Amino acid sequence: MAVVELEGVTKAYEDKIAVNHLSLKIEAGQMFGLLGPNGAGKTSSIRMMMGITLPDSGRIELFEKPFERESLDRVGYLPEERGLYKKMKVLEQLVFFAQLHGVEAGEANKRAVNWARRLEIADVLDKKTEELSKGMQQKIQFIGTILHDPKLIVMDEPFSGLDPVNAVLLERTLVELKDQGRAVLFSTHRMDQVEKLCDSICLINRGEAVLSGRVREIKKRYERNHVIVEFEGDAGFLKSEEIAEARNFSGHAEIRLKPHGDAQKLLHEASSMATIYRFELVEPSLEEIFIQTVGGKADA
Amino acid sequence: MRNILLIARREYKEQIKGRAFRLSTIGLPVLFAAVLGIAYLSSRGLGANKHVVIVSADRGLAEAVRQQLLSDKGKRAAVDVAVPSGEETRAQLISRVAGKAIDGYLWIDADGGALPKASYTGLAAGDFMTTTRLKEALDDGIVAEHLTATGMDQSNVDSVVKGIDIDTYQVKRTGAKISVVKVNAQASFWKGYVMAFLLSMTTMIYGMNVARSIIQEKTSRIFEVMLATAKPSDMLAGKLIGVGAVGLTQIAIWLVAGVAIIGSPMAAAMLSGQYSIHFSWAEGVLFPVYFLLGYLLYSSLFAGLAATCETEQELQMYMPLAAAPTWLSFAMIWPIINDSNSVWSVSASLFPPTAPIVMFLRMASEVPPVWQFFASIGLLVVSIWGTLEISSRLYRVGILMYGKRATLPELLRWLRYS
Repeated sequence: MAVVELEGVTKAYEDKIAVNHLSLKIEAGQMFGLLGPNGAGKTSSIRMMMGITLPDSGRIELFEKPFERESLDRVGYLPEERGLYKKMKVLEQLVFFAQLHGVEAGEANKRAVNWARRLEIADVLDKKTEELSKGMQQKIQFIGTILHDPKLIVMDEPFSGLDPVNAVLLERTLVELKDQGRAVLFSTHRMDQVEKLCDSICLINRGEAVLSGRVREIKKRYERNHVIVEFEGDAGFLKSEEIAEARNFSGHAEIRLKPHGDAQKLLHEASSMATIYRFELVEPSLEEIFIQTVGGKADA
Repeated sequence: MRNILLIARREYKEQIKGRAFRLSTIGLPVLFAAVLGIAYLSSRGLGANKHVVIVSADRGLAEAVRQQLLSDKGKRAAVDVAVPSGEETRAQLISRVAGKAIDGYLWIDADGGALPKASYTGLAAGDFMTTTRLKEALDDGIVAEHLTATGMDQSNVDSVVKGIDIDTYQVKRTGAKISVVKVNAQASFWKGYVMAFLLSMTTMIYGMNVARSIIQEKTSRIFEVMLATAKPSDMLAGKLIGVGAVGLTQIAIWLVAGVAIIGSPMAAAMLSGQYSIHFSWAEGVLFPVYFLLGYLLYSSLFAGLAATCETEQELQMYMPLAAAPTWLSFAMIWPIINDSNSVWSVSASLFPPTAPIVMFLRMASEVPPVWQFFASIGLLVVSIWGTLEISSRLYRVGILMYGKRATLPELLRWLRYS
């Protein structure tokens, strides 16, 4: 079942086209990454999915029906511009957000306490938001996003501002929610997370989708012309004629071969100059694909 | 509707728990009473303890004026009488005024049967209380001198000059029944003034509270979270209802406290006789009605403006917009009290921005015809609707605009967007 579907969606502000004929589809139980450089149109696309702004043209469907506000009761949204009521107590705030989505107060209270325990913030439920750290506030906001048990979770840059421990906690929770059959869409700049978490992606640049599909299939489209070498000794082999580009991090080198570069020949040259601990032919990372696709064309 | 009520309840709870609510509920009436008390106490001694010299070639007239000034027991004065001996006297008196030995002198040129000419010379240019007293004393002195010259005895002269007090009665019509009741014009004026003042303060305070709350939410970036659950119009409606309910709660507290205080034996003794104040049920009903309408007009206007601002400092720029109708209403206080049915009074009580305050000022003098209440309320409702239409368009776009203040052409574009 398609949870979200955008078909030829376009949005312009003044003289700037923010989103240009964007089409994408997210299925239930799918983790979807919306990628793109700054100003590419990710937030504009998400805001249209949430009905915050209207598209100039194109079609947006939620749960296989044309967009209607009632559908938003089944959607959880964490915007990039985070905000909470500073003077309100955490528990009251969470219950308030859930009630806006139609959850009864008692039930909302029970769910808020459960989630707070899981995300290790049960001890701050009685505190005012303004007394808490930014990381804590981000967790509260995340709970507010999922408290009404949404079938679609939309998050704009959910990992920004989180320390590594909390980022892992959030990753695990998202995977769990996905495994329960919910669709999760998030935008991010962190390619390692996309690679680890997402089933599908859509890469936007200057408002247009430049790459989209299942992560596995996208990576298959690119040649296995990347080599990782871990070595000790002379790094002179990195100047080999087989290499298009090499980055050396003190004994750890990431190499892109020329279009018809010979990996075996390179291995031979390397082993003649240095002791080789690892020589692995890998497919390009999403980060490399991102840079290759967008590089030089991004606005910011 | 569910979301409107939830948002209104959240807004109500947050504001009612705030320190500002407690302070203004107690502080505003106390502050107002203190201002009135200070104004009263400071005006009590005005024009008293002056030392003046009455200079006239007609010594009898000068003495008569002196007697009139000294007869005012409430305002003690030192009054000397002098007969002029040419310009030398004037020069001496000017030097005494300059040396602050006296406050001033009244020079009367009495020329036989013709009306005398008088001039007052003193240090303070704006001392109209003294000049008014001197004018009254001179008028009475001339009358007294003329009556004495006709052979009238002193006690009769005094009773003629003393003047007569006038009691004021008001004709009231309740349905077909016509009644005549004794009223105290001063007490009625102050009652209307206090009610109009409280109305203007609460309307402005709560109108600004809505604006401030929007700026705070914009600063805390809560809007985008809210917009994913509620429509902008629901958010605005919830806010207006919630803050308005706080204002009504405050008025209810004041009404209950006012009734309790006025009903107490001590207040009953203080507010008797010339200070007696009566509140009609119409005033009790119309006060919250006009508060609500005035509040909705100002708050809907300020909600739209606040959505276009980034900080509270920017919002302050628009303060004169809120204050101007209040200034206008109170600037018209004398024409309204003296002729509450003049074209100006009626127009100001129908003009929506000034209607709530002016209606209460008019009621202090005379209860306006019922149709005028309906007309002013109707015009207020229409203007609230119009203001809400424009403000909600600005609000819808403005709450998502961060970073810079909107220019006028941008605001006009926002109006077209929605």
